[in-house]
Amino acid sequence: MIASELVQVVDSTREITAAATRLRDLVRDEEIAPQTVLEIFENWSAELGACELQEIPGVAFLRLWLRRGTLEPILLRELGPNTPNGGWWEDGRARLRAFPLGLIGHWPAANIDIQPALSLTCALLAGNCCLVRVPTGLIDVNRLLMEKLHAVDRSGILTRRFFAASFDYSRMDLQQAMAQSVDGAMIWGGAEAVSQVRALSFPHWSRLLVFGPRVSAAAMDARTWGNLEERTTWCRRIARDVWQFDQQACSSPQTLFLERSHACDPEAFVEDLRKAFEEENRAHPRQQIDPSLTSAISLVRASWLLAGDGRSAVFPQSPDWTILLGAGATMPNPTQGRTLTVLVIDDLLEAISKFDGTLQTLGLGISDPEREEILTRAAGRNGVDRIVKLGRMHVFSSPWDGTELIRPLVRLVRHVQSQD
Amino acid sequence: MSRITDIEQGIDQLFSESPYDMDSERRQARLLSLLKNEIGYACEKSASYAKYIEHWPIHFQCAETIADLPYLPVGVFKANPPLSLIRSDEVKRTLTSSATTGQVPSRIVLDSATSRRMAKGALTIFRNFIGSERRPYLVIDTSENLASQGQIGARGAAIQALRSFATEIVCSMQLTSDGESRLDLDRVLACAAQWKNSEILVYGFTYVIWTQFVQRLKQAGIKLDLPNARVLHSGGWKRLQEEAVTHDAFNSDVAEVFGCPVSNIIDYYGMVENVGVIYPDCEYGNKHVPAFAEVIVRDPLTLAPVAAGDKGLIQVCSVLPTSFPGFLLLTEDMAEVIGYDGCSCGRKGPSFRFAGRVPKAEVRGCGNLESKRRRQPEMAGVA
Repeated sequence: MIASELVQVVDSTREITAAATRLRDLVRDEEIAPQTVLEIFENWSAELGACELQEIPGVAFLRLWLRRGTLEPILLRELGPNTPNGGWWEDGRARLRAFPLGLIGHWPAANIDIQPALSLTCALLAGNCCLVRVPTGLIDVNRLLMEKLHAVDRSGILTRRFFAASFDYSRMDLQQAMAQSVDGAMIWGGAEAVSQVRALSFPHWSRLLVFGPRVSAAAMDARTWGNLEERTTWCRRIARDVWQFDQQACSSPQTLFLERSHACDPEAFVEDLRKAFEEENRAHPRQQIDPSLTSAISLVRASWLLAGDGRSAVFPQSPDWTILLGAGATMPNPTQGRTLTVLVIDDLLEAISKFDGTLQTLGLGISDPEREEILTRAAGRNGVDRIVKLGRMHVFSSPWDGTELIRPLVRLVRHVQSQD
Repeated sequence: MSRITDIEQGIDQLFSESPYDMDSERRQARLLSLLKNEIGYACEKSASYAKYIEHWPIHFQCAETIADLPYLPVGVFKANPPLSLIRSDEVKRTLTSSATTGQVPSRIVLDSATSRRMAKGALTIFRNFIGSERRPYLVIDTSENLASQGQIGARGAAIQALRSFATEIVCSMQLTSDGESRLDLDRVLACAAQWKNSEILVYGFTYVIWTQFVQRLKQAGIKLDLPNARVLHSGGWKRLQEEAVTHDAFNSDVAEVFGCPVSNIIDYYGMVENVGVIYPDCEYGNKHVPAFAEVIVRDPLTLAPVAAGDKGLIQVCSVLPTSFPGFLLLTEDMAEVIGYDGCSCGRKGPSFRFAGRVPKAEVRGCGNLESKRRRQPEMAGVA
C-alpha cells in the first residue's frame, strides 16, 4: 500500500459511498477481538518512535496512548471484564457483550496533527470500521502516521477497516455523503466546524459524540505559587501545557488564576514563568505561524496594556509567547498562540463560580488536599470535565469532555439464556 | 525648545526634501531620531501608551533601527474612545476607516497641526506622481462624501486629499431617496464633452469605479474619450478579487471606458491610520515610501524585517501625526518587498507590492469558541 492510498484525496461522493459499502460489509462479516487491536497498536506505538516523526506535535503523546498499558484499563472500565478477549460477562441472570456500532465517521479538528489517528483508535478498539475525514492541512502528517501502522499490519487486519479521505471542508456534498453512511460519529473541533458537521443529515439511528469546542484554564493557590523551592518546576509544567498543540487544543490553558498572596509578588512569579517560557521556546521553537495569529498576538499585547491600570505583560519581540498579568475572576477570550493570561484573585472559588460550561480542563497546583476537594467539587458543578495536575492537562484519557471514548461506540447486547 | 517645537521642525525639514530622493542612510537616521522624539512626546501625553512602551522588549531610546522601535497593531484604533494624544476640545476632525459590514471601524482623531500635515503629506506624494497643475476633478462618488467637517470616512478623506489639484469638482454619483448611489450619466457625459481635450483628474474607490462606473458604461456601450484623464483609485481589491477581477482586467477596462492609456491609471495603497501617507504604484508597478515615512515588512513567524523578495506583514511608519500615536503601526495587510533601493523608476528607498489582507485562518481548533454557553462573554478588556 502506498502513502497516497492510506489517506486518499477524494473528489466524488461515489468514492465515499463505495468505501462505506465495503466497510459496512466488513464490520458485519469479520469480528475483530480487542486483543488483536491492542497488539497491533502496541507495535504501531513502537514504530512511531522513528526519528523522522519526532517533530510532529503530539506524536510522543500518541505513542503513549497506543500502549496496551494505557488502553487495556480503559477497555476494562468501559466495556467490562472479558472485553479484551471479546467475551461475555455476567450481569445477574443475563450476560452482556459489546458489539461494534458499525461504521463510524470521524471529523477531527484541523489543528491537531494526530487527532485523526486518535479518533480512529477509539472506534477500532470497539471493533468498528471507520470513515475518517482528514483535514486538507494534515494529509502529509497522517500519511506518515498511517504508513507506520501499515508497517506493523501488513496483512491489513486494521488498515482495511478504515478509509481515510481528504477533501476541502467546504465540499458539502462529500460531507453529506459521509454523514449519510455512518452509524455513529466522532466530531471534534471549534464552534463553527462542530456546528457545520452536526447540521449534516445523519441517519436517525446515528450516535453523535461531540468533543469541543472547549477551553481550559489553570489555577494555583498562594502556598503553591509562593513556594520558591518548587516554583521553577511548576512554571515548567505550565509552559509544557501551554506549548503543546500551540495552545490550540481544548485542553490548553488560556488563563492561569493565582490566588492572592500577601507574602509573594505575582510579578516575581511571572518573571520565573518568563524563564520557563523562554526555555520551552528554545526546546520547541515554532516552525510556522498563520499571519492572522501574529496579528492577534500583537493586538492582545497592546490592548491589554492600553486597557487600564494594574496590568503588565512580558513578551519578546517575536510572537513566540506572551504573558499578560492582571487581576480578576473573568477569563478573557482566548488568543491562543502561547498567550497566557495570569489573573490574580482573592479566592479561586470566585473564578470557578464564573465557569460557564465551556471550560473543559482545570489544571491545578494546590497544596492542601481538602482545599483541592472543595475546588474540584465546585469545578464539577460549574461544567468542568477534567481536573488534573498542572503539566498533565493534555494527557488524553477516558472520559474526555465528560464522555467515555469507547462505550458509546458499541452496542451492549444482553443475552438471557432460553434454557433458564 | 519644547519637544513639540523640535518635532515640528524635524517634520518641516523632511518636508523640505524631495520625497523620493533622500539617501537611505540619512533618511533612516533622521526618521529614527524624530520617531524617538515623537514616542517620548506621546508617552508624556498618554499614560496608557507610555505603559505599552515601557513593556516593549527594547527601550525605544536604545533602538538602533526603526525596526526596533515599539509599534502598535492597527486594531487598537477600533477602541472606544479613540486612542488620542489631545484633549477633546482640540479635536478638529475624526477620521473613520471603511470597515466592511459587521466590523468595527478604526477612528483617528486629528488636531489642526496633524490635519495640516496630513494634507501636506498627501499633496507632496500626489505631486510627484501626477504633477502640480490644477485641473477638473471627476469624483466617482456622491457629493455627500465630500463633507469636510466633523467625522469623515476613508472615502471622504481620500476624495478631499486631491481637492488641491482641482479647478472644479464634479461628482458622478447621486444619492437616491432610498439611500442608494446611482450613476448620473447625463452629468458624466456633459463633463466628458466639456473636458474632452483637457488634463483631468479622476478619483474613486476601486470597487466603486469598477461596479458602479466602468461596468455600467461598458454595458451601455459608452466610451468617454478623455485621453488626458488620470485615474487614481484606492480602497483595496478584496471585493474585486471575490469577483475574480484581475489588475490587468481592471486597468484595461478602465482605460477603455475613459479612452486613456493604461499608464494613466494609478492604484494606491493607504489607510486612515497612516494619515497623510499614500503609496501609489510607479510605472513599474511598485509602491514607494516618501522621506517622512517608512515601511517595514515583517516575517509573521519572527516579526523581524524580511529580505527583498519575501512577503510579510506591513508595518507603516510616519512622522506626521501628533494627535494620536500612529507613528509606527503594524497593519493587517501583507506585502512583498521588491527591493530596499534602486527601483528603475528612480525613486529611492524601499519598494514593495501589496499582497492582500492577512488571510483569516480556516479554523482555530477545538479551543475556538464562538460564544459562551450559559452566560454572555464578559470581556476583561481584551479586544
